[in-house]
Amino acid sequence: MALLEVNQLTKQFGKHSKALSDVNFSVQEGEFVTIIGPSGAGKSTLLRCINRMIDATGGEIRFQDKSVLNLKKKELKQVRTKIGMIFQHYNLVNRLSVIENTLHGKLGTKSTMAGVLGLYSQEEKQQAVRILNVLGLKEMIYKRADQLSGGQKQRVGIARALIQNPRMLLCDEPIASLDPNSAKVIMDHLKKISTTMGITVIVNLHQVDVAIKYSDRIIGINSGQVVYNGPAENMTPEDIQRIYGSEADELIFDIGGIHAG
Amino acid sequence: MEVKGQLNNVSAPAEHLLEERIKIKPANKAAIVIGLTLTVLSLLTVYAFYSFDYKEFDMTEALIATFANLKVIFLEPHLEHFSFGHALYQVLVTLGLAFLTTLFGAVVAVFFGLLAAENLSSKRVSMIIKGMVAFIRAVPTVLWVLIFAVAAGLGSTAAVIGMTFHSIGYLIKAYSESFEELDRGVIEALQASGANWWQIVFQAVIPSSITYMISWTFLRFEINFAVAVAMGAAAGAGGIGYDMFMASSFYLDMREIGAITYFILAVAIILELFAIRIKNKLKAA
Ligand SMILES: Nc1ncnc2c1ncn2[C@@H]1O[C@H](COP(=O)(O)OP(=O)(O)OP(=O)(O)O)[C@@H](O)[C@H]1O
Ligand SMILES: [Mg+2]
Repeated sequence: MALLEVNQLTKQFGKHSKALSDVNFSVQEGEFVTIIGPSGAGKSTLLRCINRMIDATGGEIRFQDKSVLNLKKKELKQVRTKIGMIFQHYNLVNRLSVIENTLHGKLGTKSTMAGVLGLYSQEEKQQAVRILNVLGLKEMIYKRADQLSGGQKQRVGIARALIQNPRMLLCDEPIASLDPNSAKVIMDHLKKISTTMGITVIVNLHQVDVAIKYSDRIIGINSGQVVYNGPAENMTPEDIQRIYGSEADELIFDIGGIHAG
Repeated sequence: MEVKGQLNNVSAPAEHLLEERIKIKPANKAAIVIGLTLTVLSLLTVYAFYSFDYKEFDMTEALIATFANLKVIFLEPHLEHFSFGHALYQVLVTLGLAFLTTLFGAVVAVFFGLLAAENLSSKRVSMIIKGMVAFIRAVPTVLWVLIFAVAAGLGSTAAVIGMTFHSIGYLIKAYSESFEELDRGVIEALQASGANWWQIVFQAVIPSSITYMISWTFLRFEINFAVAVAMGAAAGAGGIGYDMFMASSFYLDMREIGAITYFILAVAIILELFAIRIKNKLKAA
């Protein structure tokens, strides 16, 4: 059974601009799915509709076989604790330490008072340290977030998502602000999270080559519509042409190299 | 061939620009209005000085007398009607008034500041609060004290309420602006993990703006000290300001005024030094 099902999803901003129209796809447990498409295609909008940071206009989203779109506030919070989110600009609290930022991932499961006072149990703290260890941030636990490099910040972002014990990660262009080396480290971590921990990972990306290299499946979006949905290996230059329209020429050149290699 | 055509296209508008003078600051409505206002004001100032009634008024004599008074005040200060201990106690009373009103103001302003910050509240609520704050701030503190004096009578009660009221307005604006500095993405990130509003406020918003909040609060404390001195005299709120009032209009003792002024000056300098230290500490943290 699919972990996430998206049926006939539409999202309209204002009267005329349709950001998403009739989007259908489903994602299996533990799958690594990448969403690609030109700027303004609706990738971020789609991702944000899934955990209802944006409310969809129509259609249905089912997560763990539960309809997400008409949940009450409390139930929605519960669903959100099961979905981690990672951002291009990391979105950490700069003045707080790495471990404090990591523990923020636990707020959703705490009482208001415990969250307000920042009271975390010994187990939660141990889990945070364990996760930070795995992500190679052992030495940085007490460093302030604004003293980290971009790649380190993004790893803290991942740690904050992982401590939620999520079933799924939503990543909105996690490597768009990083240099190639840090980008590779982040993508490797995400891949490992999906294969070894069985967590479903959905990533928005701009780089087609990275998408092909890491994904089990690629979903291509153009003007709010799914125009490709299939395994990464099967993608042809024609598919890329369909996803990116006129921008595609350069990209196809890149792909040739990747398939050859 | 095609490339060359495109290049020509690109350079055409640039050449066109070179022919006429390039203005960096284009004349707009705002600039004209500001210019006109300044001109009118300077003309009015000149006219005013020209048209003053200087009858029986000797400028040099007046200046000399003023300097003589200043000399008495500042070079021959002494305490006659109050002891040093009394003056010290009265300074503490004034400081207490400033502290109390700042504290009350800060506590209330944190709450309304959160509601006034657009990223934490709805646009509507934020607009309503900001509108009220603009009104409260537009009326000077002294006037608020006098307004509350209608109900509470002239005295310390009216001073506390009026000063607190203006402090609230001032600090709501300061706090809400520093809350709004926090990137929307940070709030979104915590919302996406299921955190609620209070948790986000205490775990992200306040830790991010605490240094600004402290320096704004201290600045307000300094302002409130100055106002508290004036209120002692004008509203009979007690403290060193009241002693100054007595010295100047009851005992007519200029030397005592000088002594009290030095007292206030010393306290103001100590406060300023304190503020600088706090700011440096916060910067380092
Ligand atoms: N809050 C909003 N209000 C109005 N229109 C919006 C809003 N957010 C997005 N849109 C519109 O929806 C469309 C899809 O935007 P979206 O941000 O999802 O694109 P994207 O694929 O993530 O692009 P990029 O790769 O540049 O991040 C765009 O046309 C955008 O202008
Ligand atoms: Mg986007």
